[in-house]
Amino acid sequence: MSAERRIGPTYPPSEGAASVRASLRALRAAGAAMALPEPALELRPSASEPPRLQRAEPREGDAMRVRRVAGEPVAGIVAFLDGIQESRVLAHWPGGVPLVHGTVAATVRRRRARTLVAWRPDATRIERALFVPRAAVGDTAWTALATSCTVRDTLEPGAGGPWHPQELTGHALSAVQRRRECAETACAELWCADGDGPLVVDGGIASAGTAAHSPLAIGVVKSHRTLYVDGDALPLVLGLGAGERTTTFTVTSPRRAPVASWYLRLRDPAAHDALWGIVRVEVAVDGATTDRADLVSRWLLAERSPVALPDARWGAMSYGVRLTEEYLRAVTR
Amino acid sequence: MPIGRVVATERKPNTPHEFHFWTALDAPVGIGTIVRVEGPPTGDGRLVTVYGVVVEGFSYTDLQTPLHDVLGADGDPSAALRAPTDRTEIRLYTAHALRHVPDEPLQPVPMGTVHLATDDDVAVALRMDGYLKEGQRTGIPIGLYRSGAMQSPVYLDADFLLGPEAAHLNISGVSGLATKTSAVEWLLSSIFAHFPVQKGSVAAVCFNVKGPDLCFLDQPATRLDDADRALYDALGVPAEPFRDVEYYAPWTARGHALATLRSHEALSHNVHPLSWGLREVLQYAEVLLNKDDVDAKADALIDFIRERVVNQEFADAMLERTHTVRSFADLERWFREVLRGMEGRNAETWRTHHVATIRKVRNRLSNISTRCRGLVTDDGTASDLPFGAFRDRAVYVIDVAASEEDAQDLIFARIVSQLREQLERRTLGVDHVVVFVDELNKYAPSDGPDTYVRQMLLDIAERGRYLGLVLFAAQQFRSQVHRRVVGNCGTALFGRMDMDELATPGYATLAPATRIKLSTLDKGQLMVRHPHFAQPVFVRFPRPAVLGGREGVERFPAEPEPSLEVAVTRSLRALDRSVTLDWVKQAIVAAPEDDVLRARNRTLQARPDDVKAYFRSQFRGRAAVESVPSTPSSLPLAGSGSDDPYAF
Repeated sequence: MSAERRIGPTYPPSEGAASVRASLRALRAAGAAMALPEPALELRPSASEPPRLQRAEPREGDAMRVRRVAGEPVAGIVAFLDGIQESRVLAHWPGGVPLVHGTVAATVRRRRARTLVAWRPDATRIERALFVPRAAVGDTAWTALATSCTVRDTLEPGAGGPWHPQELTGHALSAVQRRRECAETACAELWCADGDGPLVVDGGIASAGTAAHSPLAIGVVKSHRTLYVDGDALPLVLGLGAGERTTTFTVTSPRRAPVASWYLRLRDPAAHDALWGIVRVEVAVDGATTDRADLVSRWLLAERSPVALPDARWGAMSYGVRLTEEYLRAVTR
Repeated sequence: MPIGRVVATERKPNTPHEFHFWTALDAPVGIGTIVRVEGPPTGDGRLVTVYGVVVEGFSYTDLQTPLHDVLGADGDPSAALRAPTDRTEIRLYTAHALRHVPDEPLQPVPMGTVHLATDDDVAVALRMDGYLKEGQRTGIPIGLYRSGAMQSPVYLDADFLLGPEAAHLNISGVSGLATKTSAVEWLLSSIFAHFPVQKGSVAAVCFNVKGPDLCFLDQPATRLDDADRALYDALGVPAEPFRDVEYYAPWTARGHALATLRSHEALSHNVHPLSWGLREVLQYAEVLLNKDDVDAKADALIDFIRERVVNQEFADAMLERTHTVRSFADLERWFREVLRGMEGRNAETWRTHHVATIRKVRNRLSNISTRCRGLVTDDGTASDLPFGAFRDRAVYVIDVAASEEDAQDLIFARIVSQLREQLERRTLGVDHVVVFVDELNKYAPSDGPDTYVRQMLLDIAERGRYLGLVLFAAQQFRSQVHRRVVGNCGTALFGRMDMDELATPGYATLAPATRIKLSTLDKGQLMVRHPHFAQPVFVRFPRPAVLGGREGVERFPAEPEPSLEVAVTRSLRALDRSVTLDWVKQAIVAAPEDDVLRARNRTLQARPDDVKAYFRSQFRGRAAVESVPSTPSSLPLAGSGSDDPYAF
């Protein structure tokens, strides 16, 4: 058996062949200084945007209100989409330039007979690449790296330095994130074109290309750094009970498609913080009626069981999303 | 198609002898399933194949604690059924390696696909391919290995079951489930059907120690169903009772009938008395005499009697006449005269033997015939197994179930010793003998005093295979049998086992799941250990094709012990059908019962052409009775007026 077969990945990447070993070889050959193993960049504390409140235009009535989801939870979701990313600093270029290896993956898992299975081969996207600030390393090094593995530029064309090393790390992280979003969008668009039922997308659908307009896509957002409420409506959101939702509203953004959205409490917060167990649901604006919001909410409430423990986000995470994420971790190791 | 994949982690690595694999939830894999691992090619291009048997199975999900399942279902078990997604579940199995191909270098089991073993795989995995080659087959079917719908015959190697490479078989199982007896009956059928021609002839000697289990081996079973017949067909064994069976049993204490449950007249044609005289018993006196009885001095006197007195003319100044001692009665007369002579001369010793020793030995030897009444005769007549004329594929059953313990020990010791001696001299009539003994823990216990029988069993276990003397022994508790006896058994069968027994150290090498399976085995299932099998395997065997004990006594109920006349009539009619009850009554009129029984036994032993004349001639001074004419005043003996031997 050849060395490559013995130590190659079990699941070959569908896009971008830059395994960690291949990247390390390329970096050594190019003259980079190897870095000690560090935790993934995603685990480092980051200077993110400050949390904020943002008013959104109500769709049901003239103000946000609380509604009990009409009807019992019912299973209706057919598939789940999720993406993962992992980036690590593998080496440094003279001048403290971080050279980051990033792995992104996204997939759609379809449910058949209460078991999640792969939908189709092209609905799983795995990409591994070196994320390098081209302007910082220079064309010669860039070219040398690019001959051995997939390399992606983390800087905008024409960007000039000097750069703080942590700034470059932040750019790399953002670049990896964009690649992940691309993979997720590609998978979402595939489903929306050929799928046969509602798809839960982990995260919003506003930036998911054509999925933002598809009746099949349902975005489920678990984090709430931006709350789409004004001061008067905030207590309504924080006071949602399990099985209650807010009335729908429209979320707009300059670079994203408008979507209809609402807050839904999946579980009683009990001793947790006020936002625990709350998800923000996004669907295409067309057809986002009260009945549809209730129906989608019933679907999502049905997905509370089984619980997504031991994931720390289990209060707002469906088991289907957790399984999808586990699948991606297994195939990208 | 593969049914699983090999997995290994740092915490649960694979070794050359143990590996783990996962399967789909509905894969037909369980404890005892034989699998084949196909690994990647080695550096020199050879494909690595590993065969294993599943010994443990695990199932778990991604639950960290059962509480999470409770949370997810809000405490309602039925709510879990309504959840849209099942938790991911893994079926993880541990298997012990049976064989690696190639076997060198011996490396950890590689990552690869796992397949259910086919017939050919089973043969390779259990190394049966070495002894199932055409032209040199030595395979004896023991049962069918089953996995799902697939079943494969499993064979033992005759060279390792019946010698010379290894030998002896030990069977363990709880009492009352008929597993042990059924397994032996089945295996004997299989041996008789498949014994390799090149190994010669084989017979079986079975000791029936309790109940009627072995009393109907020549009668067909009534409860064989299609599934059993299919098993017989698959294993190439005819579903028939044994064709050649002879039964032997001692007489009852009264001597009218044989002490056996096989006493129905319809089955009496192959039931023979087992009785011994002084010559047959004296050699094994120590079986019945313990160390307290027989010290060196007594032992010396017994040896003297055996070598210088029995079966030869013995004269001595102490004796009034020359004695020829052939029976216990003769011996008793001899002792009496010796002691009388010593008393008369006021002598304390005779030929270096002290009078106390002589009295003690007389006491011990004379009560042998009392303790073993029915087996040991006073008059020296003997009826024995056909040593020297054993037949190929014959079964000789010695029914000792109704005998006292002393008699059982004596029977066992003498018969097995005779078998051994004759096999050594190659004069037995067959080349191999299988001796079946139940309740081995009684004859060869792991503790307790050392007995003749235990020593003999040890000797057979350790050396018998070179002679063709093979021990098939059964017991409920293997841990209670002498270690060297079970340890020398090359093959071991286990039926359903007692849980307490499984907890003993002897079973520690078995995986916990295997032990639990052993405690729940159905009738007809066995776990087999054999020298060729790296790990034990589970097989299924068919119901024996012979009539069971319980059914047998229902169909052929035992006859009550008859009167003397009827008993003698029955015995003599086996030699001459013209013998009638009336005739017997006339022939034995006024004769002492002991004389009648003696005459009967001698007639049975001699098997004369003229049975009536010979029988009559055994009565001293009785010949003249027939010539006395009847007087008018004497009433004729009541007769039936017919030839019916049982008419009164």
